[in-house]
Amino acid sequence: MTGSVVAGIGWVTSRGTGRGREAREFSMASGPIPHVTREDVFPEPNLRFGRLPQYSRVGLAAVAFALRDAGMGHWKTKRSAGIVASTRTGCLATDIEYYNTVLPEGGGLPSPNLFSCTLPTCFLGEAAIQFGLTGPTLIVNDPAEDALGGVRMALESLSWGERGTMLAGHIELAADPALPGIRSPYAGALFMVLENARDPAAGGYGTLDLSEGGAVRHGGIEIAGLNELVRACLAFPGRS
Amino acid sequence: MAEWRSRLNEVLITAAAAVTGLGPDLDATWRRLLSGETAVRPIRRFDAGRYPARNASWIEGLESRGNRSLLFPILERLLDGFAPPPPGCRLVTATTKGCIDTFERVRKGLSGDVADIPVSGPLTWLASRLGLNDPGVNINSACASSTMAVARASAMIESGRADAVLVVCMDLVSEFVFSGFSSLQALDPAGCRPFDRDRNGLSLGEGGAALLMMSAETARRKGIPGIGSVVGWGAANDATHVTAPARDGCGLIQAVRQAMAKASIGPEDIAAINAHGTGTVYNDAMESTAFGAVFGSRPIPLNSIKGAIGHTLGAAGGIEVAVSLRSLAARTLPPTAGFREPMEKCPFSVRPTPQRIGGNYLLSTNSGFGGINAALILKGNPG
Repeated sequence: MTGSVVAGIGWVTSRGTGRGREAREFSMASGPIPHVTREDVFPEPNLRFGRLPQYSRVGLAAVAFALRDAGMGHWKTKRSAGIVASTRTGCLATDIEYYNTVLPEGGGLPSPNLFSCTLPTCFLGEAAIQFGLTGPTLIVNDPAEDALGGVRMALESLSWGERGTMLAGHIELAADPALPGIRSPYAGALFMVLENARDPAAGGYGTLDLSEGGAVRHGGIEIAGLNELVRACLAFPGRS
Repeated sequence: MAEWRSRLNEVLITAAAAVTGLGPDLDATWRRLLSGETAVRPIRRFDAGRYPARNASWIEGLESRGNRSLLFPILERLLDGFAPPPPGCRLVTATTKGCIDTFERVRKGLSGDVADIPVSGPLTWLASRLGLNDPGVNINSACASSTMAVARASAMIESGRADAVLVVCMDLVSEFVFSGFSSLQALDPAGCRPFDRDRNGLSLGEGGAALLMMSAETARRKGIPGIGSVVGWGAANDATHVTAPARDGCGLIQAVRQAMAKASIGPEDIAAINAHGTGTVYNDAMESTAFGAVFGSRPIPLNSIKGAIGHTLGAAGGIEVAVSLRSLAARTLPPTAGFREPMEKCPFSVRPTPQRIGGNYLLSTNSGFGGINAALILKGNPG
């Protein structure tokens, strides 16, 4: 079967942080996400991480864990991998935080640092810098409940030969009481490293592809949602 | 056989519409672009008196209905009289901040429909308004969002994943975004001057574009003529800085080379460039460096329409595609409004007047926060 091998998985959810090779279980549900510190993610000092708002920190941490899980945490020359993540509410929490700096002073002291994080893609830029990734970086706002829009888009790019390696995932923060009525079934971030060239027998979490109708399949079996996908990967017999 | 298949999967654009500060439709925008006008003028939507820059390109006469976002009247104008999408058409939108005015209203304690705030709000509205079965997806890749959306739609059609895709691009002028760019000291109080020696920052704008794209085979079957085609696309990240472009233009160079490889053409085939051209010191210098690396010192006609319609963020690339198709049809590149004196080390032909295009291929590029760069190569009406 052709498709892309899942080479690494990393996440931050309400249950904590994790990597595929260290875990047996996975669940992403709604709920508050624990504070992620620089020490949790980068062993060495990192000037930027602590200044990032929670959305960016959670996303960058999940990318870092996924790359390390795939053995791609260290790099010397830039790599052509791209990153695509789906989301429903994006960086709404950062928007609220930034706009609070605009409102009290009547527009006098808005935070430039926060403003630069009010695009949901900015943490992908941070990840590109931290890990030398030069492929396309994009967020897909997908109203679908399955939270697989990013994975689906990455698999398309891989099957079209646009890239040989893609990071794909989903990111969402818990509902913000400042904007009641906006909810998501998920909270946290999850990324997978998907590779075309890797031999499935050489380790990983199985192979993903798309059906004719666009459904994500793991080992040829259609997957209904993000939690099911990760659990199928963690249960893959050949995982290493 | 392979050649036949390739021809059938050629990606046509069969209809294009745009709403900008220059006018309520593409005809008006095109006409006023050619005459060198600018829509950048004092903002009336909010009190900009507290900011050093107080201008933007905004759309006249937008009215909120039932306290809903001003994005919806833009979309209404855009779709008024637009070609109906064929059955099975997919929907791809591009916006950076969607209904940001609704977000502002709600955060100020005013009434507003919270359901509009996530991008699913305008997506649902569009799918319903157009009678599409596809709920659609929105692509957010900062200021390259709509270029990435057009590239995605092109790949979907070329691969056979879709027969037709409607790309809709949109963004608003808002205090949220204006205050942010002001805090970054990125706004030119006098109005932006792309590729000018004295450029001093960007001007914000708002607008939208709709592009109906389909495979040549689908268009032939339905008897719909193409107004141009997308023959190449590419995207790459600088991996250098989140808010500043890489000075060596590494990401843009890579994106342009990918697009040319996809189109199976060389640098000598590009007849004109619609640059991102925001008017900031660093962006325009980066673009000049990148284009110089790809095209050498050949004085290719190059322009930016952001001096005329402002930087429309997630709508920019889509509006620029709509205008660029007119450019190819008329073999005329619109003036770069605000441009007076060439910047240093820019070998390209930038003019405050229209320029003649002497070929069939036009390169359109956008770059954005997060280090993203995207490039499209458009071909004039394939006949």
